[in-house]
Amino acid sequence: MSADADKDDDQALAAEYALGLLSAEEAAAFEARLASEPALRQAYAQWAEDFAALADDIPEEAPPARVQKKLQVRLFADARPARRSWFDRFGPGLLVAGALVAALFLTVDLPGQGVTPPANPVYTADIASEDGSLVVLAGYDAEAGELYVERVLGTARPERALELWLIAGDNPPVSLGVLPNDPAARLPVTPELVAALEGGILAISDEPPGGSPTGAPTGDVLATAPLTNV
Amino acid sequence: MDRTDLQSLIAKCALKDRAAFDALYAATSAKLFGVILRILKSRSEAEEVLQEVYVKIWQKADRYAAGGFSPMTWLITIARNAAIDALRRRKGGSEPISAEVVEQMADAAPGPEALVVQASERARIDRCFAELEPDRAEAVQAAYLNGDSYAELADRYDVPINTMRTWLRRSLLKLRECLSR
Repeated sequence: MSADADKDDDQALAAEYALGLLSAEEAAAFEARLASEPALRQAYAQWAEDFAALADDIPEEAPPARVQKKLQVRLFADARPARRSWFDRFGPGLLVAGALVAALFLTVDLPGQGVTPPANPVYTADIASEDGSLVVLAGYDAEAGELYVERVLGTARPERALELWLIAGDNPPVSLGVLPNDPAARLPVTPELVAALEGGILAISDEPPGGSPTGAPTGDVLATAPLTNV
Repeated sequence: MDRTDLQSLIAKCALKDRAAFDALYAATSAKLFGVILRILKSRSEAEEVLQEVYVKIWQKADRYAAGGFSPMTWLITIARNAAIDALRRRKGGSEPISAEVVEQMADAAPGPEALVVQASERARIDRCFAELEPDRAEAVQAAYLNGDSYAELADRYDVPINTMRTWLRRSLLKLRECLSR
């Protein structure tokens, strides 16, 4: 091949690489050459610049605020109240999670009062309000027949209580109890309710002290989350 | 926000300046979300990818040095590659684009052309795309903007993959010839 043809070939290759059109092997071979061939790097950089101009036509779209919130928690966890998901702390996610989460896990004390999370929860839910100000983790301990709940962020409103509800299908919510002042608690789940945990939804409502007087939620529903099978 | 402002924000991110990171996010996230959304066409997936992209930007800001990719190109390229990786994962294919290279490209010594900024950049691109046959210009744009693969392009234009590739490579060379005029 002539020198010009080689040059053309590299130009086209750099463009294909910039477009993401190369196969994995071709892309790897191209990348291996980049390190030692400034002309190829320059060809690629030029294509990347030129193609990026095409993005001018793409309309801007403001992402929802939760993306930035999640980012801040993820990158700057030390600066924020820890929003620790069940899996990050107790689940298989810990095995694969990065050093940040691992460090978080090690530095955060488990809640005291002798209330411990179940080692092998059957169902879990991360119940978080829309604005992230209330976060409660829940995990069902099948051996004990209890739902472990841990309030990691937020409290009840002044002179009010937080009540936890289980919603199964179209049935009316059934109270699982009022969350105590302690951040962690275990709430008994009656055998009749256990079946409803599968596919059920947990909700937290704002109630008078001692809980709803009617047996149904009377105040604002602050947060909900589906129970997922571990 | 102009090029120098963005460069300075990225430089401050490299020094782990959170306020600069917030400002960079405020200035660029709508653009990057648009780019990702265009490729993935799913808001929930696009949100996940956008988050990944800014994690990467925060972590790799120190690889960015002024004088290589322009800041917007660096950001858009990271976003686009992450979206295409997600798209190909979804389709069950492999062939991820290596993001590592993009991050490092930031300190590539730029050629003189790369430094010619860029007021007329868009007009130049448009003029050169207009010199291509319309369906070929469209194919190049679809590859860039939608993340289409050769197989998808070949399907769309109803030609064998090898033909598609020959076609497109020829068009790309024509484009380069025009762009460097």
